Amino acid sequence: MSSTTAASAAATSRRRALSLLASALGVDVSPQPAAMRRTDKVPVDTRLARLDQQSAQAATFSGPPSAIAWLNRATFGCTQADLAAFNALGGSDTARWTAWLAQQLDPASINDGACTARIASANFQSLNLTPGQLWSTFHADTANYSHRMLPVAEVECATIIRQTYSQRQLFEVMVDFWHDHFSVFGWDYDGGPMFPAFDALFRDMAPGKGVFGNFKSLLMAVCESASMMYMLDLYSSFAAGPNENYARELCELHTLGAMNYAGVVDPDPYSGVYPIPMVTAADGSSIRAMYVDDDVYNATTALTGWTISQSTWQVGSDPNPGMFEYVDALHYDKVTTTFLNRYIGANTGITAGKNIFNWLSMHPGVATFIATKLCRRLVGDNPPGSLVSSVANVFLQNYQAPNQLQLTTQAVLASSEFQNSYGLKMKRPGVAFVGALRACGADFTPVPDLDNPGYVSGQWTTTSSILWALQSAGHRPFYWPAPNGYPDTQTAWSSTGTLGLTLRMLSFVLESTQDRNVAGSPFLADVQAQTLAAIPVLANRTAANIAGLWCDRILGYRPTNVYNAAVDFMRQNALATDALDLTTDTWDSGHLSKHYTKSRLRSMVALILSSPDFLTR
Amino acid sequence: MTPSPMQLDRRDFLKGCCAATLAGGSHVAVGATASTTQDTLVVVFLRGAMDALSLLSPGQGHPDRGNYEANRDNTRVPYAGTGAGLPLGGTNWQLHPRAAALKSLYTQGHLALVVGAGQMAPNPVVRSHFEAQANLETGVGGGTGSGIGWLTRHLVSANLPANVPVPAVSMGSITASSLLGSTEAITMNSGQDFRLDLGNWPWNAADNSGIAGLQGVVEVLPSLWQSSTLPLAPAGLAALDSLSLFRAINFSTYAASNTSGYQPSGGASYGGGGFGLQLQNIAQLVKHNVGLRIATVDLGGWDTHNGQGSPADSYDYFGNQVQVLNDGLNAFYTDLSTDAAGNYMKNVSVVTVSEFGRRVQENASGGTDHGYGTVMLAMGASVNGGQIYGTFPGLASDQLFEGADVAVTTDYRRVLAEALVARLGNANVGYVFPGYSGYAPLGIFQTSAVADTVFKSGFE
Repeated sequence: MSSTTAASAAATSRRRALSLLASALGVDVSPQPAAMRRTDKVPVDTRLARLDQQSAQAATFSGPPSAIAWLNRATFGCTQADLAAFNALGGSDTARWTAWLAQQLDPASINDGACTARIASANFQSLNLTPGQLWSTFHADTANYSHRMLPVAEVECATIIRQTYSQRQLFEVMVDFWHDHFSVFGWDYDGGPMFPAFDALFRDMAPGKGVFGNFKSLLMAVCESASMMYMLDLYSSFAAGPNENYARELCELHTLGAMNYAGVVDPDPYSGVYPIPMVTAADGSSIRAMYVDDDVYNATTALTGWTISQSTWQVGSDPNPGMFEYVDALHYDKVTTTFLNRYIGANTGITAGKNIFNWLSMHPGVATFIATKLCRRLVGDNPPGSLVSSVANVFLQNYQAPNQLQLTTQAVLASSEFQNSYGLKMKRPGVAFVGALRACGADFTPVPDLDNPGYVSGQWTTTSSILWALQSAGHRPFYWPAPNGYPDTQTAWSSTGTLGLTLRMLSFVLESTQDRNVAGSPFLADVQAQTLAAIPVLANRTAANIAGLWCDRILGYRPTNVYNAAVDFMRQNALATDALDLTTDTWDSGHLSKHYTKSRLRSMVALILSSPDFLTR
Repeated sequence: MTPSPMQLDRRDFLKGCCAATLAGGSHVAVGATASTTQDTLVVVFLRGAMDALSLLSPGQGHPDRGNYEANRDNTRVPYAGTGAGLPLGGTNWQLHPRAAALKSLYTQGHLALVVGAGQMAPNPVVRSHFEAQANLETGVGGGTGSGIGWLTRHLVSANLPANVPVPAVSMGSITASSLLGSTEAITMNSGQDFRLDLGNWPWNAADNSGIAGLQGVVEVLPSLWQSSTLPLAPAGLAALDSLSLFRAINFSTYAASNTSGYQPSGGASYGGGGFGLQLQNIAQLVKHNVGLRIATVDLGGWDTHNGQGSPADSYDYFGNQVQVLNDGLNAFYTDLSTDAAGNYMKNVSVVTVSEFGRRVQENASGGTDHGYGTVMLAMGASVNGGQIYGTFPGLASDQLFEGADVAVTTDYRRVLAEALVARLGNANVGYVFPGYSGYAPLGIFQTSAVADTVFKSGFE
């Protein structure tokens, strides 16, 4: 190790001297960056993590008007159009909210023509194919990786389009939630080609189906999908060698949750070592409250033989490739076993597995786990226990109802805990990204390279660059590798890395054009044209008016700190009330108010998007 | 080659800090004798539960070779022929054949292995990745306690100077749970990407505007966050501090077109993968003298339930994973041990952890399910390497945990605690690992002589 060498010390002294000299000459010297460890701050801060320990009410922070606070959590970002539509729904916020919920909880009733047309314009090839078609067209393609993976690439683009443009915003929010809950890494070599069929399970609006349908129905549909089967290896779990991956995550991630996991212990309720109580299931019967590892093994056995046709050599010539099938010859049921103290008889075939799902669907622990996650998404990182328990109750009481999840979602959003809280959540990077597109009126139809008629091999397209920025921020759709899904707490998303790269991405969105390979291509979000249109009178194009316009569009209101910073940035050495020339973009170092004004407008919009007020929801 | 170092007031540096304060006002009782070194500890987390029995398998003549072969068929590492393991001299263990550089480091005495390592507590044992990772990283012997990571408690109790530019980095998008709660750690996935450089050039930042006195978005941003009362504001300010600290550093790799980029020493090649580049970022920060004490980095992809592969076959998924680990650690060691300024590895130690091992009996999918006991690696020029530490509990069925898994005979905290005490000069083991009382050094790390620790340049 070296001590400070004479040479470097001398260099340091020179830098110091130069800095002093520069200061003396009136040249601005950037301040030394603040050390991460320094005397004026505490070394440990768990406030974000501990919001859970406060009631939602007490931890509510001053923010936007109620309607915006609500809509920001039930949509991918409340726009001025959303607000106008909301305000037309009734005479009071409460009445409007009730009406808005009723509408949004019935997505099929909402006309979504514009979004559908935009999707159609992208000429996606795989979105509406059956599993069998996906299998033969894409899964069978072992030569061209981009083509093989086109289905997941298309779902990714379509998802961004829908989140941005669909009028069925609550539906999209819930599709996002359930994708996180039943998380599949989209780019799995075998699961990727089948991904549209997986995504379609959440989007199914038929009675009892999808994100507003019945939980058990969705749970089983997910289990039987090729993408999940590949994700968690169930397709190859056979009598001759069970694979416990799916069964473990079924318990830990899909149903009971780690909150109801007792570990590697003897589950005998009478042994007294780890007494695990029995609780009452939705049908009034008795069931063990928590699962142990033996339950995982027994569920594994019960689900052997559940597979995907033609996914392995044992089922290599079965009909309906890519579809779920149960193969009795691959199922093990020679002995009796139990699950959560329930009896599974020998020789019960597929019934053994179906029983597992039945019992889980009526388990109060599952209701609590799902309710906790829903409240965490929509209310706060650690939602009040009273709310979780009332939502869990709705979930459990309706375990057989075809609209169980619709009723459960409604229970969260109609609650006073939801309505009276704000500021307990942050926008995850993907939500901030879509929110920015929405607030800035972007015109963006992302398409994979293979669907892009203008694609030149080797070029880095706008779509690719945007997805890369999203991936850098840690939140590209369907890109979380583990089966637990993207986290949903501020502790996870408020790291320096995530926040820093979220800010970077938001600036990038403002600078992105329709075709980054064509000079002069229009911006995705033409904020200049929108500003000119919104403020048609030249004399009114003042920094104050421009900053106000974009605070309204992005935040729905004008928080002082953000508004003032935006005004000062926009005006530079002009007055806040001086008209600015928004149509020039030239160098003028002598008059910063005239220096690259069009560019400065985009930067000002990026600045507002980079505020804590935008990133909070 | 490297940009100008961050400057600190040496008097501040020497002052040390008194009892650190936790949010909420509780005081940490730290030992009066706590001393500080300038060592760096790098914790590599092999996420997904690395199959330790494939990385380090019983070789020819090992009493458990028969049991190993009986349990491992498709995933076996042979001791002869194609894909044979690399025998570790003086033992009958063998490293995976793709770990050639690790074997070399072992032979040179810079790499040690600990067998039968794992989480002795919690009781009960959990085989959930996410629970086990959280338990390991909070280090309270089961459960996650108050959600504060063990490395956070180390930083609080290590008697660090009052001002340290970058005491800790967590490589990744999301902070490693071992550093949860710390306000002093910088989390970043990639040094190259961690900067605000995608706004339009005239107004993005003062350093690219070309106009003196211009305040770009980068300069104006803090004012939005400093005045905010929203819960997110402190996190945002930490992000802006971090971006500002690293803005002057060119993290990209040296090239003819990027002559101010980072050039590893000794011809070390980190490759283009994420793990290698993250290690490169850490090495650069070590040399850059920002006061780095702690770095965490992840290597995922070890959850081999299916198609684990075998070095005897052309398909060797696990081997590919080992290769990434091997190449990354090798480049890191080479880079830091051959610098003209001296052998940095004398003051840098690397430890690997994984949430648990994998089932001794492989499954029918050519993979292995969740197990228990695992292996830890320790690498550094101050590591007493070339040895295998701990007691291997054996692979006979009556020796296995719950009849299925390698048992745990060495609490992972024993290894980490030794690194803290011997290398980082933090004797507050009971504070860093609450409830852990079984600490006795295994002798893996040479004790850092604090008095000999020179001030790195940059701390004037």
